[in-house]
Amino acid sequence: MAGITGEEIALAIVVLVGLFAALRVAVEQNTLRKLPYLNVLSFAIAAAIALLIRHPLALLAAAAFFVGSTLESNAIASTYAGGNTEDD
Amino acid sequence: MLDVIARILAASLVSWLLFITIDVLFKLPEKGGVSGATAIGRTIEEDGGALHGGYMMGNIVCSPDASAGTLLAACGVYIAGIFGGLAAALLVYLGNRICHDPGYAGTTGAVLATFVIFGFTQVGFGAEEFIAGMVLAILSIQGLSHIGASRLLATLWGWRA
Repeated sequence: MAGITGEEIALAIVVLVGLFAALRVAVEQNTLRKLPYLNVLSFAIAAAIALLIRHPLALLAAAAFFVGSTLESNAIASTYAGGNTEDD
Repeated sequence: MLDVIARILAASLVSWLLFITIDVLFKLPEKGGVSGATAIGRTIEEDGGALHGGYMMGNIVCSPDASAGTLLAACGVYIAGIFGGLAAALLVYLGNRICHDPGYAGTTGAVLATFVIFGFTQVGFGAEEFIAGMVLAILSIQGLSHIGASRLLATLWGWRA
């Protein structure tokens, strides 16, 4: 196993967690129950963007992807909750 | 290789303690910040989990919290050192506003994590180990057992409240 860098080990762990989370998103039937698994998948994708592209703009890409994904989950969950209420 | 994995596990533990402490101090388990977070909390409770732990998990789904702050700070430190981490904190701040989050758990988490991670990079850790560590830490809360995680978070919230 010589020649494997720390970055590659970190990336391998991130990818494995992402695949596991993707599988759970696919298997789970209830949309609200899917969202925490989707959250883990978004973490893994944002992490992989930064690990694969070590460039200042990659930080912007990872943050933009993550915030966008979070906002989508927020919208989906709020729709299933019956739309906007005075809590929002 | 084993030393890298050991450091990733240690980084994961540090990240876990950091984001859970900040999220609980910022009262994420108290109630859902938006109706969607409340709905996720109630669904987890219906499955046999704890309501306040579920609220915190719903809040983590619906807006970048201290866990997201820690992840993006780790990415920032990995890419551009301490200034990269602080740039990530600014992006998390903007992300919170975009997601209608009235709180500052995400921004606070990103700023604190930047200094913690930068400190660890001075003693032999790599920032990439914190990126992988944070992904493992969020897996333990959102990706393994929602019932178990919500009960653990509710217990921690009980100490806080």
